[in-house]
Amino acid sequence: MASQTLTSSMQPTDVYGGDEVSAIILDPGFSSVRAGFAGEDTPKSFVSSYYGVNEGGQVFGDDAIHNPLAGLDIRNPMSKEGIVEDWDTATRLWEYAITSRLTSFKQADPRNNGLNDDLKDLDVEMDGVEEGEKPLEEHPLLMTETAWNSPKNRERAIEIAMESWGCPAFWLARNSVLAAFGAGKATALVVDVGASTASVLAIHDGLILKKSIQKSHLAGNWLSSQIRTLFATSEPKVELVPHYTIMSKTPVDAGAPAQATYRTYEKEVTDSFRALEEERVLTEFKESVVQVWTGPGRLNSPMQAGMTNLEYAKSQPGRVFEMPDGYNQMWGGERFTVAEGMWDERAALPVAGEQPVQKGQTISEMVKASVNAVDMDLRSQLLQNIVVTGGTTLVNGFTDRLNNELTVMYPSARIKIQAAGLTAERRFGSWIGGSILGSLGTFHQMWISKKEFEEFGSSVVEKRCK
Amino acid sequence: MSQSGVQVDAECVSKFNELKLGKSIKYIIYKLSDDFGTIVVEETGSDKDWDNFREKLVNAKTKSKQGKEGKGPRYAVYDFEYELASGEGTRNKITFIAWSPDDAGIGPKMTYASSKDALKRALNGIAAEVQANDEDDIEYNTILAKFAKGK
Ligand SMILES: Nc1ncnc2c1ncn2[C@@H]1O[C@H](COP(=O)(O)OP(=O)(O)OP(=O)(O)O)[C@@H](O)[C@H]1O
Ligand SMILES: [Mg+2]
Repeated sequence: MASQTLTSSMQPTDVYGGDEVSAIILDPGFSSVRAGFAGEDTPKSFVSSYYGVNEGGQVFGDDAIHNPLAGLDIRNPMSKEGIVEDWDTATRLWEYAITSRLTSFKQADPRNNGLNDDLKDLDVEMDGVEEGEKPLEEHPLLMTETAWNSPKNRERAIEIAMESWGCPAFWLARNSVLAAFGAGKATALVVDVGASTASVLAIHDGLILKKSIQKSHLAGNWLSSQIRTLFATSEPKVELVPHYTIMSKTPVDAGAPAQATYRTYEKEVTDSFRALEEERVLTEFKESVVQVWTGPGRLNSPMQAGMTNLEYAKSQPGRVFEMPDGYNQMWGGERFTVAEGMWDERAALPVAGEQPVQKGQTISEMVKASVNAVDMDLRSQLLQNIVVTGGTTLVNGFTDRLNNELTVMYPSARIKIQAAGLTAERRFGSWIGGSILGSLGTFHQMWISKKEFEEFGSSVVEKRCK
Repeated sequence: MSQSGVQVDAECVSKFNELKLGKSIKYIIYKLSDDFGTIVVEETGSDKDWDNFREKLVNAKTKSKQGKEGKGPRYAVYDFEYELASGEGTRNKITFIAWSPDDAGIGPKMTYASSKDALKRALNGIAAEVQANDEDDIEYNTILAKFAKGK
């Protein structure tokens, strides 16, 4: 191994050598797809993972899916664990993400660029497509994946890259490993809280320790459902009113009923469309109002005689939130309660149709289980190399609370948490990592070339991308 | 395994083998070549003073791809000598240090972290490894405490 790296004559001879052309980095998640050219600082293309379906077929992208007139049913090709479930649609969504924004990208044949046409027609037309018409045939593709992606899904990914898109080279990288590397660490405990999934896992010398992988649903979508419960159980109930329902609004006093003119639509929108639009309002609420109790202790634990932390939190200045219809109110202690279930299962608000949150699903317990699953020798090193990533970790107070929880859990350990200060690095950490790797001159040593794929088949991905 | 394709220059190993002989070289500092293609020896030293060595890491620089100079990660091997707590003499541990300051740019951090294993695996006979991201992590006492705990 060691000596192999020393002589160039021992390098594989069929390496991909087209490094004049930028690679494309594709980082798909439950909430969004990030795509762009290697070497750039942020992904040029940032597209919702949700897509719309009506009689006309499928539509992709924010310009299309938020149209209340189109009678769209809203769906997502990713599973609740953030891995691909519907491959045909995922392929087309990614093609959209790539072709719609990456301008120097070779224009795909409209017959097979997969945009907004019906699935059945596409299948038929794909058969007639010539070799020379594949959309990505000049660009190597680096794709990211979760640590719990299935072997079958991994093979499917290389098949799409090589066969459907005609990529000359391909690589599959673990998003958590990219996040750790981006923090300057080959060994780390990565805490990733995205939209569908919260996960904790250990990485040692650049490799994921399989038995350390912990995941739960206490991520962004769950947080949204907590806010829904909060609105529904408020006195009086707070109406969640999406933007598309509002024609105009008049300012009203805090707590007073809204005075708005509503839009009416000939055709009633679908429940899934409304839910998507409500989610946008909930995201605004998360960004501007929600606050994690940073500690010490838990929100419901006593602070001093006769007072809990929650009572103290209630006495602190609140934040005003205005709904699209103009209704507004001050949120005090409640803005803490929605995020508390991530840390304290007993504090989670009930969600209709869902099981109560289990202790083992909380972030702190997942850290404990993950750390306990690895060698004793490694544990203290992991605790001082915690990397926090994913959009939901941007909720105010997240990192401070994690630090407090772990300090109590491991009183004699040194806890050190690394969370990128730049929002972009926290949200696009794995894309950015892929962008840097994919632009290295030496990365041509890594790529699985088309030739290799043809020789060994899709299982080559299991052997090469660990 | 390196995950970046970065290569290891042969001198990295030969200098390490010299250090192992325990005579002249106390430490080796490695860096990535300017094109980020190869890990090369930046300098070796015989100075026994840890703080002088540490100072070199703290002051290390790297150019970003836009050519802007900023803090730079490094790899290093140090023949760490310490007194046993029991007073039964001294011990040596050939220690590999992956130094990547938190305030370095994400490009260098990414490249050094993903290439570390290529170098580490080329060096046979490393007794301990330290991953260091802030100046406290490379205080003599921080490392000593690690060894004292048997780790
Ligand atoms: N400032 C913010 N405060 C709180 N939550 C935020 C903020 N910004 C984004 N989010 C939430 O982060 C989530 C998206 O994060 P991210 O992009 O990491 O997820 P993803 O990778 O698409 O999903 P997954 O990892 O589950 O596949 C959404 O639920 C969004 O509401
Ligand atoms: Mg994610």
